[in-house]
Amino acid sequence: MNLPGLLETREAHGETTFWVEKERLLEACTHLRDEEGFTFLSDVSAVDYLGWPGAPRDVAGYYGTVGGRETGAPGSQGLARLPELQPLRRFSVVYHLLALRPGAPRLRLQVWVDDGESVPSVVPIWPTADWHEREAWDMMGIPFEGHPNLVRILMDDDWEGHPLRKDYPLGGEPVRFSGEE
Amino acid sequence: MAVDDRPPKRLAGLGLNSERLLWPTKGPGVFENEVAQLEQALGVTTLEKAARWAQSRSMWPDTFGLACCAIEMMAIVSSRYDIARFGMEAFRSSPRQADLLIVSGRVSHKMAAPLRQIYDQMLEPKWVIAMGACASSGGMFNNYAVLQSVDKIVPVDIYVPGCPPRPEALMEGIIRLHERVQAGVPHAYEMQQVAG
Amino acid sequence: MAIAERPEARASIYEGTRIPSPIPTILQVPEELRDSDDVIQVNFGPNHPSTHGVLRLVVDLNGEQIVGLRAVIGYLHTGFEKNMEQKTWWKAITYPERIDYVSYQNNELVFVLAIEQLLGLETPEKARWMRMCLCELNRLHSHLVWLATSALELGVISMFWYCFRERERILDLFEMVTGGRMHTRYFQAGGLAEDIPQGFFPEARKFVEWMPKAVDDYEGLVDRNKIWLERTQGIGILSADDAIALGQSGPVLRASGVDWDLRRARPYLAYDEVDFDVPVYPNGDVYDRYRVHMDEMRQSVRIVAQTLDRLEDMDGQPWIADDRKVVLPPREELHTSMESLIHHFKIVTEGYRVPEGQVYSVVESPRGELGCYVISDGGPKPWRVKFRAPSFLATAAAPTLMRDALIADLIAIVGSLDGVMGEVDR
Repeated sequence: MNLPGLLETREAHGETTFWVEKERLLEACTHLRDEEGFTFLSDVSAVDYLGWPGAPRDVAGYYGTVGGRETGAPGSQGLARLPELQPLRRFSVVYHLLALRPGAPRLRLQVWVDDGESVPSVVPIWPTADWHEREAWDMMGIPFEGHPNLVRILMDDDWEGHPLRKDYPLGGEPVRFSGEE
Repeated sequence: MAVDDRPPKRLAGLGLNSERLLWPTKGPGVFENEVAQLEQALGVTTLEKAARWAQSRSMWPDTFGLACCAIEMMAIVSSRYDIARFGMEAFRSSPRQADLLIVSGRVSHKMAAPLRQIYDQMLEPKWVIAMGACASSGGMFNNYAVLQSVDKIVPVDIYVPGCPPRPEALMEGIIRLHERVQAGVPHAYEMQQVAG
Repeated sequence: MAIAERPEARASIYEGTRIPSPIPTILQVPEELRDSDDVIQVNFGPNHPSTHGVLRLVVDLNGEQIVGLRAVIGYLHTGFEKNMEQKTWWKAITYPERIDYVSYQNNELVFVLAIEQLLGLETPEKARWMRMCLCELNRLHSHLVWLATSALELGVISMFWYCFRERERILDLFEMVTGGRMHTRYFQAGGLAEDIPQGFFPEARKFVEWMPKAVDDYEGLVDRNKIWLERTQGIGILSADDAIALGQSGPVLRASGVDWDLRRARPYLAYDEVDFDVPVYPNGDVYDRYRVHMDEMRQSVRIVAQTLDRLEDMDGQPWIADDRKVVLPPREELHTSMESLIHHFKIVTEGYRVPEGQVYSVVESPRGELGCYVISDGGPKPWRVKFRAPSFLATAAAPTLMRDALIADLIAIVGSLDGVMGEVDR
């Protein structure tokens, strides 16, 4: 298929992923919905790749790479295998699409952005994206341009920070055991 | 509490019948004297005891089901576990009409304020059961979103562990609460100072 | 039992779209009423008399008519996704169950299927069939809880006791097999945690024979009841195009006339080997959603009966895959084999490693398309887990359904959407 703005295609585990240029995202989505029949947007997820093993300064073979993966893993022959997928930027917004026809063909669209960069909103194309994008904004801090109502959805309105980012701490309290001093 | 030096009141004189009704002129029996001494020692009267008995036999819970524990809380109303035996099947939606707040489920920080509001709207005497691991201590969710134990914002009388606790476990918690009430143990809000 | 004769529906499926604009998930008060003194804003706060959990609806009312609606969620946000990133794959399986706490095994299943897809692990036949049996029992459980609570809210109070009576029987079966009533944690990457116990099949058969009569009882209570029909027919209408645009799936989509069931379209487990029908109804109102749920209950019983037939023949077969890098070796082997001991140690302490990749696995949960997007970096812990929850979208779609609703209809509509707040807020 001739998808506007296509950068790369990957097939793995029976699934197809398209990497798309952010600027041409709306064109690509319209094409997919109208011409290819992907009328159902299943999911919009945001992913933070901060600390993904294999960042430029990681060298294969070092013990204890950033991802915490030791070289002693079974089958590794002492070498740290760096992941095949190398993220283009820190964040990725991932769209899962479904066509309601026999065989249930599914597609994944991936857009790469940096911290602070905004992604065009697909709400005009699939209204269901409204709350998904709000959640991505709330949890990851990725602004969506053109979103009609970009406010926090899961966290309190006055919450600071974006909890699902990798540099946001898990939080909670240290557990004290009664036998301790 | 100061011990009262008044002569023991005859139970019969309070309008409650004792087994010596057939022999009204006999005077307070051993049983009545012992009960009267106990009452003096604890500083409670038979009327208070009657009031506590009534409270424990008809403690209406508030519909505060949050998550998974709520489903098991609904199960105690069902016919197999039947909390109507204890007079508690009337789950009141309005906190003003409820006596018991069973916090069933994980309390997120966003929900903490409404929880405290509901607790404040309840009229005394009131009790709180923290049902499940999440309400008792944050459960498996030791993170930014979940309040690590509901007793940080409301005083809790009974903690029922489990994830979720079986309906029988919740019933045991409720029955222990009834026993507490009947024994005269003060409410949690009298014993703890939680948020005033 | 025959379906009651339907009077002409009050409003037929409509032309165009009823999705509010510009914000699809907020019904805004129309211009002419904005400054009116007749419009009051009522807060159906997070704690409310209905049994749906902590949903907050801010409703603008003009008399009894709903003219504005906004749903506020987040009161049950638990941070599942962030917590799961800190746990090993094995330990993380405990978390998804609590997301949709009424159909917990479907949540477990979707996550475990994602892990298996990344690992490329084949599960033995017995595991696939038993998983299917438990998931269908869980579908029954979910629909029973739905029916009990939704009917309770509309005034059919006795339905609650009838449904929970059957629910207890299902939970007895779960307890027999898995040891726990809810949040069973029985599925492992590779199959099941333990073999199916003796005595399960006779009990399950008794249940399967009893259940259709119970469904007849429920329908007998409400199907021809004038009040029920008045309160559910023609209420909360959603057209097929709007449903697809709003990302609806499961009973909501099927009640709007779209024949879409993931068990048919992209069969997982052994759904292509069993016989069942997918109920589809054309009118898209609350009554049709109720009918879809009831028919699905009957179909689930059919599927369970077929799985029992197959499973009884599989006595003695393995219930979990044999890959020792992922699955614990049988305990007897630990006494004799050094490799088994080492594998056991590595799996328990560090956890197994899932190869790098990303996967979006889906199942047809009782509420619709439940998806799990998992990214692995090759290590012992997930990098990112995202659950696509059908109730999240159903709650987002609520304003579209409430266009011409009265306040009493709000209860019926929210009930029919079958939202579980644990899923919505995760």
